[in-house]
Amino acid sequence: MENIITLAHGSGSTQTNELIDRIFKSNFDNPYLTADDAAVLDIEEGKIAMSTDGFIVSPYEFPGGNIGKLAVCGTVNDIACMGAKPKYITCSYIIEEGFPVEELEKIAESMGETARKADVRIVAGDTKVAGKGQVDKIFITTAGIGNIIEGANTSGAFAKPGDKIIVSGDVGRHGCTILLARNEFNIDADITSDCAPLWSNIESVLNVTKNIHVIRDATRGGVGTVLYEIAHQSNVGISIDSSAIPIDPGVRGVCSMLGLEPLYLACEGRLVFIAPAEEADKVLNTLRSCENSEKAAIIGEVTDENIGKVVLYTAVGAKTLLSRPSGELLPRIC
Amino acid sequence: MNEIIQRSKEIITGYDGPKVRIMEVCGTHTHEIFRLGIRSLLPENIDLISGPGCPVCVTPIGFIDEALYLALEKNCLITTFGDLIKVPGTEMNLAKARANGAAIRPVYSPDDAVEIAKDNPDTEVVFLSVGFETTTPSSCLAVKKAKELNLKNFSILTANKSMPNAYLKLKGSADAFIYPGHVNAITGNSVCKHLKEEGVSGVVAGFTANELMSALAVTIEMLKKNEPFFVNCYPRVVKDEGNPAAIKLMDEVMELCDTEWRGLGIIEKSGMKLKAEYSDFDSRIKLNIPVIHGKPNPACRCGEVLQGHCKPSDCPMFGKVCTPLHAVGACMVSDEGACSAYYQYGQM
Amino acid sequence: MCVGLPARVVSINEGTAIIDANGAKRSVASQLIDDLEPGDYVMVHAGVAIAKINSDDETEGNEILGII
Repeated sequence: MENIITLAHGSGSTQTNELIDRIFKSNFDNPYLTADDAAVLDIEEGKIAMSTDGFIVSPYEFPGGNIGKLAVCGTVNDIACMGAKPKYITCSYIIEEGFPVEELEKIAESMGETARKADVRIVAGDTKVAGKGQVDKIFITTAGIGNIIEGANTSGAFAKPGDKIIVSGDVGRHGCTILLARNEFNIDADITSDCAPLWSNIESVLNVTKNIHVIRDATRGGVGTVLYEIAHQSNVGISIDSSAIPIDPGVRGVCSMLGLEPLYLACEGRLVFIAPAEEADKVLNTLRSCENSEKAAIIGEVTDENIGKVVLYTAVGAKTLLSRPSGELLPRIC
Repeated sequence: MNEIIQRSKEIITGYDGPKVRIMEVCGTHTHEIFRLGIRSLLPENIDLISGPGCPVCVTPIGFIDEALYLALEKNCLITTFGDLIKVPGTEMNLAKARANGAAIRPVYSPDDAVEIAKDNPDTEVVFLSVGFETTTPSSCLAVKKAKELNLKNFSILTANKSMPNAYLKLKGSADAFIYPGHVNAITGNSVCKHLKEEGVSGVVAGFTANELMSALAVTIEMLKKNEPFFVNCYPRVVKDEGNPAAIKLMDEVMELCDTEWRGLGIIEKSGMKLKAEYSDFDSRIKLNIPVIHGKPNPACRCGEVLQGHCKPSDCPMFGKVCTPLHAVGACMVSDEGACSAYYQYGQM
Repeated sequence: MCVGLPARVVSINEGTAIIDANGAKRSVASQLIDDLEPGDYVMVHAGVAIAKINSDDETEGNEILGII
């Protein structure tokens, strides 16, 4: 086999088959993985959650993961946030001509490993090769489905005044990791992406209580954006205590260097739970006992004032609005 | 809340004297004051005005047009502090130029721009040099380094500003000024002391919650005494003599010039440009930029906002036509611009 | 005007210092400050150390409030 991807690999020819056999089948192997036009699946009765997500991260490999791991986590976490156990995912690759096969193998290996960890099957896939310069190295789109577990009923529209807001760990790590990995600002810091599949965390919480109003994963836009979305969807206000928000010291350092707000940096392994006050400690303690959410914290509550807004309680004992990001996050000197 | 904040808060909220107007000159102060919610603590008789201390806000529209010309007509790689990317020029901003194929790269330091020029000898690299005395030394160091490296593909487009003569223009806009801590870290305190002799009061402040609250408390207490004052409330960083090496460096590489401030017009000897011996690194000379006059939107009241003559909400475009997503004036673009800060934090 | 970054000097070499702010490290110009030593704290702006920091903001705040 050649050591770079060529247009022939995307042509449906013997090269395509070779690529599928060597790279994808070996890493994704499971009884449902189809060689036909569509996978045929067993589904339990009840409601299904389904989601899709595209991934174009640059660089495609970064401390704590790569685009493959990210593509699995992104979709399984979206499904999990609906209270559904992710079961099957599909993946579609668009690869730039000339991409090293060895790198593709690493990405596929990481997808397989993450899927096994998340207990989902990769059941169908597609590979297209685009001409040099038509895409930036490799893009992956995944889609997935999962069974909603009985009694779970969450939505961004269900937050109620008095509810507590719990974040499952320190914020902004993935965004910060990518920023540093691009090396545009010549900053070094020991920060790894928080990228992780989170169904087991959600399942543990739902095993303790199903009385959860909102579960959201904070991805691009970070926890700040998720909170604004929930405030809008639920038509409530959100009040958070700036000193309660867990932030990795390194992330804080990078943010102060570049004048960025950690609440708006992307996460790929962080959940926001909104639950009635009497459930909050249960949720918190359960999360703290799980891998990837040891640093969970209650950061604030839902209010019936300042509707649609996120209000921060600050170090001087005053309240202020969390400023909204306007588009692209840019480092500032002033 | 610690004791410093607690005690400062008591002094500030307990003020019951005649109405006082305090102007924070520095945009980062504006930003932090909003971020900490300090305005919401103030009694009605303390008016905190945001002054012209955001280098992005006071950069005239023609400067962005010059940068756009270099990016789009001369195919230069424009390196810039992230702050400038969304500032509107006459036709578009740099973000839009980038979407149209121009090469625009945010950098953390002008030194990074020099490194980019070094690594890409076939690319003409321009650094957009804005900033007050705090930032100007970094541009001077970059130019000196480029000269030492004998780089032929690096230049800076200057719009650097100098504060002392701008203060004179602001005289009378407020009862006391909160001077910009990091400008004074470079220039020292002599200008502020001199202003005190002329009856202009103020304090130098730092940027943390402790520093801003204690500086405000000191300002209030001093105002009660009803005589001109100057207090350095940021002594852990600001020395009376400033940073002599930085002052010497600026004298060596740049000289004062008359310059336009967005909204304020031309202020004599309030700008900095490269000296003749560094003209090889002056984008205007090196790349033959024609004279470009920007055309600001006539309805924009940024100029009055910058002088504290009106509040952002007094501008007819504020929050309607002009929002952070679709900024008309520069004060809405920069995170520390008074309009942006009012828009983002003022809606409570 | 000017976001400042307080940071600890890790090492110095010919006018350039490696500084550390909570674990975020970068090289910055240090030639504008005399007698800088590893362990010192500096205020950094746009990649230049512009001033030495000689105490924390609490000590400073207490002193400042002491004068009024």
